[in-house]
Formats: sequence, C-alpha cells, structure tokens
Amino acid sequence: MISIGIDVGAATTKAVVLRDNEIAGYAIIPTGFDFRQAGEAAYREVLSNCGIGESEVGKILATGYGRSSIGFAEKTISEITAHARGVGYLIPAAHTIIDIGGQDSKVIITENGKVVDFLMNDRCAAGTGKFLEYTAKALEISLNELGTLALVSKHPAKISSMCTVFAESEVISLRAQKIKKEDIAAGLIESIILRTITMVKKLGIKHEVAFVGGVAKNPGVVKAFEKALDTKVQLPEEPQITGALGAALVV
Amino acid sequence: MNDQMAENDIILRSLDLFKEAFPGRINQILKSKEGGKKIVGTLCLYVPDELIYACGADRVILCGGRSAPIEAAEEYLPRNLCPLIKSSFGSVIDQKCSKTKSCPHFGMVDLIVAEATCDGKKKMYELLDKYIPTHVMDLPQKPENQNALEYYIKELESLKDVLENLTGNKITDTQLRNEIKSANETRKLLRAIYELRKSDSPPIRGTEILKVVQQMHFLSPDEFKKNLVLLLDELNVTKREFSGPRIMISGCPMAAGNMKVPEIIENQGGLIVVEESCTGTRAFWDLVDENKEPMRAIAERYLKIPCACMYPNERRINQILQLAGDFNVDGVVYYTLQFCHGYNVEKYRVGEALKKSGIPLLSIESDYSGADTEQIKTRVDAFLEMLE
Repeated sequence: MISIGIDVGAATTKAVVLRDNEIAGYAIIPTGFDFRQAGEAAYREVLSNCGIGESEVGKILATGYGRSSIGFAEKTISEITAHARGVGYLIPAAHTIIDIGGQDSKVIITENGKVVDFLMNDRCAAGTGKFLEYTAKALEISLNELGTLALVSKHPAKISSMCTVFAESEVISLRAQKIKKEDIAAGLIESIILRTITMVKKLGIKHEVAFVGGVAKNPGVVKAFEKALDTKVQLPEEPQITGALGAALVV
Repeated sequence: MNDQMAENDIILRSLDLFKEAFPGRINQILKSKEGGKKIVGTLCLYVPDELIYACGADRVILCGGRSAPIEAAEEYLPRNLCPLIKSSFGSVIDQKCSKTKSCPHFGMVDLIVAEATCDGKKKMYELLDKYIPTHVMDLPQKPENQNALEYYIKELESLKDVLENLTGNKITDTQLRNEIKSANETRKLLRAIYELRKSDSPPIRGTEILKVVQQMHFLSPDEFKKNLVLLLDELNVTKREFSGPRIMISGCPMAAGNMKVPEIIENQGGLIVVEESCTGTRAFWDLVDENKEPMRAIAERYLKIPCACMYPNERRINQILQLAGDFNVDGVVYYTLQFCHGYNVEKYRVGEALKKSGIPLLSIESDYSGADTEQIKTRVDAFLEMLE
C-alpha cells in the first residue's frame, strides 16, 4: 500500500511517499505563488524520486497552509495533527514538538501520538523563519551562515524588537555601533526563540522535546533552544518532512 | 459539513424573519420618531431595556460588528483599541459626518445610554457625547460588595430621571412590572431554544442562533419575541439534526456583522452548542424576579451579568463550567477581541478551571479584518481533530 502526504507550507512544499508504513522517499520544493501547482509539482517529483507510477498510489492526503488547494487529495488535515503523527512515528519518545516554519511557529503537546494541547504564534512573522530570512539580509549573510556564525558568539547582542521590520532596523543600528556580526546573529536567534519558549512554558514542557520545520535545520537555533530549555532537543534526520509524513500516516 | 447541509436542507422560515428584519425595523424607528417617540441607543447588557420601554421610548443597539467604519474611527481613536469600540464609534460619526449611511439607525438616536464597563468604552463615550448626547451609567465594579446593589439602584434611579426628562413621561411601577414580565417571556423563550441545543443532535447551528441573538437589542422587544415564538414552534416540529464536536464559544461579544470565528468553526465541521457571551447566555440567562419591588428586582438581575470588567469574577468561571456540563461540551473556543484586556486576562483563570475539568480550550484573539482567516482555520481544524 502506497500513500502520499503533501504538506503545502507558506515557504516550501513537501511530499513524502510511504510504502507499507516505511518512508520510500520525499521531495521538498519552494511553494511559490500557486499552492495547487506547488502541490502537484511536489507530488510528481516524489513519484519520480521513488520511481512510482501514479496508478500505484493508494491515497493522497494534504496538510499545511495550502492544504485546501490540493483538489486531488482525498482528505486534508491540519499541520498540527500532521506533525504530531509524523514526529510520533520518527521520535516516539517526543511529547513536546516545536515546529518553526516559514510563516508560523507552533508548540504541540502529545500523548500516545495524539495532540492534547497546542499553541500557535500570532498572525505576524515575528518568531518564524521569515524573521531570520529578513534579518540575515540585514547582516548581508545567508540564512545558513547566520546559524553557523551564531555558534561562535560569546556575547549575543540584545535585540528587543520582536517585529521583523523593526528588528531589521535594529540590526542596522547595531552594525553602526560596531557590534560583531556573530553577536548580532546570536542575538537575532535568541529573539526568535523567545516567543516559542513562552509558548512551551505556557503549555508546560513534556519530555522529550522534538524540533521540526525548516528552522530546525539551523544549528544556531537548535543550540539556543537547548540552552534556554536546558534539555537536549531531538531532531529528525530531515526536520522539514514531518508534516507531510504525518499526513501520509493518516488512515 | 456538506452532508449535514444536505440532510438539514430544511429552511426555517422564522430564521429568515430575523435576517430580513433590518429595513422594516429602520422604517419602524423612522415612523415612531415622526410620531414623537424618543430613540435610545445602548451598547451594553447592563443597561436595562425595561426602564427604556417603561418610559415610552424605543431602543436600538449601537454595538458595531462591521469592519468598514473602523477606518473613520481611527481618525479619532488609537489603532490599538478593541474593534467593537472603534466600529461603534465609527458608525456614529459615519452617520453624522458622511453620506454613506450604511447603518442608518446609528444616526437616529436621541440619547445614548452608555455604561462604565471597560476603559476603552468609557473614554470613547467622552468623544461620542460630541455627536449624540450620552448618559454614562456607573457600575459597581465589585458587585459582591455590600453596597454594590444599593449603588447600582441609585444609578438606575438617575437613569430613570434622565429617561423621564427625555420623554416627558413618568415611569410607573405598573409599566415597569409589565416590561419586566414581557422581557422575562423573551428570556424564557431563548432559554427554551437553548434547551433544545442540549440534545445529542441539536436542531439548530450556532451560526444560526447567533444571528438571532444579535437581533435581540436591535429589534423591538415585541417583534423579537414574536419571531422567537415562531422559531421555537418551527424547531419543535421540524426534523433537523446537527452533529460534530460540541463547541462552546466563550468570551467577547460578537456584534451583528461579526461572524468570522463562529462561521469558521462550523464550516470546518464543529457544532457550536452554546455561547457564553453578551451575544449568548449573558443576554438572557437570569430572569428578573416579578414578585419583588421592580427597581430592586431589575438591579439584582442585571448586576449578576458576569462581565469580565467585574472583580472578582468567579461567577463567570462557575457559569462556564456549569454550561460546559449542561450542554455536554467537548471543547471551548475562548474568543477575544483584540485589545480587550478584561476577557484576555480572564482567559488564564478560565483555562485553568477548564483544565481541571478536563475540557480543552482553544484561544482565538482576532479583530474584524479577514487577514487571519486562514491561520484561524488551521487552529480550529487542529482543535476539532484533537476533539474527535
């Protein structure tokens, strides 16, 4: 039995092929403007990655921000339920899931693989991948560099603006004050995780903690979380696909 | 939801009466104004309808639920203010200063009877008075205090004087008793309709009943009551059955025009079975004691309204737990308007109490724009999936 989960996120679209309950392959592509096109493209790509013909596909489930645009999916589920399923499959010991994506951040508490409570950030981009993307630009570095650079910082700068737009101008004024690049990078990361930490505390941490979503690929953010939560954070091998995987796991 | 829609395709004629009442009511107000009747505008449940009608005046609610007037209001009011306050104020100045006049009743009011509930409203009333004479009733903010009731009765006595001056009519005990009796009948009808929602498969959706309750202080009491009788009759004879995770909405008022969150909940497959809201139970739950001295009886009933501006507000928490049990609620959607500090802060204690009872809570804070619709859908979907 082959099932496919498609997670149409605000920034990237992910597709996972599950064959007899084992991951057979996945695809990650930029979402672009059109959710439906992104879903179809990820679907075709994952099929070709796995060398599977369309006729072999048993069921298709969609999740993510653009889930309702995927007309060829037989069912949609919210990404919160999807991440809980996906993480439950990959890291069964995890009961607190932090997901930071391109547009939002969420914290999910699970019990026996089921969601029992969750919080999502407010509507703006503060505390999300977008925040890092914009502010990295203000530092004239790439997103990847931001994470590795932050690791060497000894005195993270204090960034007080939660708002992406204001933080960008704060970065420029810190540059003018000749604050080291790595310290600004670390400061930016500390500021993005603050919101998420508040959500974790509100819900009450339940060990183990798993970190998923595109931002989980950033080593600086992972380290900052481990420091702030005083615990090891579990990462799936590919943190971006847990939503799509979770959708594929829905029977 | 689509399957349910097909099964329950039976249209209730009485619901259309509420939906289509707007133009008729506007004409009614215009006509009574021509006949010399005074029109009182209100913005809160703490202002007793009984006094206004006993004085021979008519009443219309001025709580704004639409986003359109907010832009005009922001010329005067800060952006970071509750949308209901901005929308209400915007609707009044829109009537007084522009030609759009989309909601004409805002401009037909002779006197506004306002109330000292939250800070945002109080300060807005200072500005409002420039456009329409505004009388602000004070409220004892610690209603369980020894002197609270006497103080509230005094405020009602002052209101009585204000209304008598406005209309030139005296409020007699007999008239007051008649109005109490009539208002109690309306409350009982609403209670009877809500009673049906306790069933395993309620005959009416939350979004349908909300549009009814939103009309409670817009329509004349007689018309509202007449329509309620028809609705109750229809619900009793028509076979309609709705299902889905049973949701209570608790929190800020959802004034007419503001349907965003309830519509999302029910479009995504939830079923709202009770609203702990000013546009819900708070509007009609308790009766006025018909055997007591009328002013005191009115004061006792109205002071029981569990608004988040009151301190301490244990009774709201108790009410929520009681309703959650009575209506067999699976989950509570705690709804707050942006910048509504009272209900926003109270959320923590409500959440704690619900947690103890094992009832999940989803918190949604929103304004009147559509900007966050998709984000709210994701939260609601996840919440409903969690409840299933």
